[in-house]
Amino acid sequence: MNTDFINNIGLTHYLVLAALLFMMGMAGVLLRRNVIVLLMSVELMLNSVNLTFIAFSKYLGILDGHIMVFFVMTIAAAEAAVGLALAVSIFKRFNEVNIRFFEHLKG
Amino acid sequence: MTADAFLFWFLAIVTLVSGLSVILLSNPIYSSLCLAMTMVGISALFVTLNAYFIAGVQLIVYAGAVMVLFVMVIMLFDLKKDLQAFTKGKFSGAVKIASVGLLAGLVVGAIAMSVGLLTEKTTDNPVTAGTGMETTKQLGQILFSKYIFGFEALGVLLLVIAVGAVALARSKGGTHEH
Repeated sequence: MNTDFINNIGLTHYLVLAALLFMMGMAGVLLRRNVIVLLMSVELMLNSVNLTFIAFSKYLGILDGHIMVFFVMTIAAAEAAVGLALAVSIFKRFNEVNIRFFEHLKG
Repeated sequence: MTADAFLFWFLAIVTLVSGLSVILLSNPIYSSLCLAMTMVGISALFVTLNAYFIAGVQLIVYAGAVMVLFVMVIMLFDLKKDLQAFTKGKFSGAVKIASVGLLAGLVVGAIAMSVGLLTEKTTDNPVTAGTGMETTKQLGQILFSKYIFGFEALGVLLLVIAVGAVALARSKGGTHEH
């Protein structure tokens, strides 16, 4: 087995790890029914993107990726706040946080 | 195996296993704890990438604030174990997993090909290889000069979100009856 891939950690390793994490988040969004777990999967995807930004930032030698990560984190926190508020209102009405109840949310 | 390589593989395995547990465990409280574990793992990966300040912010904002929000809402709901944790839509779960796997394969393949082009130009730049203090200082300077409008917009966004979340949660169907 080629030991170079194991010993020399480079950009590729971080990018593949981020891709796998993104895939997990997407599978969670597609497969789960619980709204809270759906939101958690979205957070997983955002985190994998953050990892990509930081990895590129290091290996290209520019700091702008760090700023993008700041912005992504803020948006993620905002998204969590609004998503959980929606989950609270769904739970209050239907006593469950299943994604299928969101079709009742038309005004 | 060098210390760097060992650290990376250890963190990668921790992150992937806890990330997989987030979507596979049917009890939401366990999912959220696994997500917190993933956040801590990613924060440690940021440290291995010399992004010390971002690693700290990740720990405080994600592993601290956002996860507390999730756990608090789950406790508020008093949810039972989901009996049907996974959706049954028009497409079966196997089709969805296969399509996600195909996309992941495409992404990983594209990365593996494009990185061959990128690595020729990339070097460990002294800018990010410096100490944590220097990076943090430069980060602050960029944030308050080049990205100042984005920063201001984020402030407005957070205000709007705070008001909107309160308005959503207290209107009809919130935790309080009117």
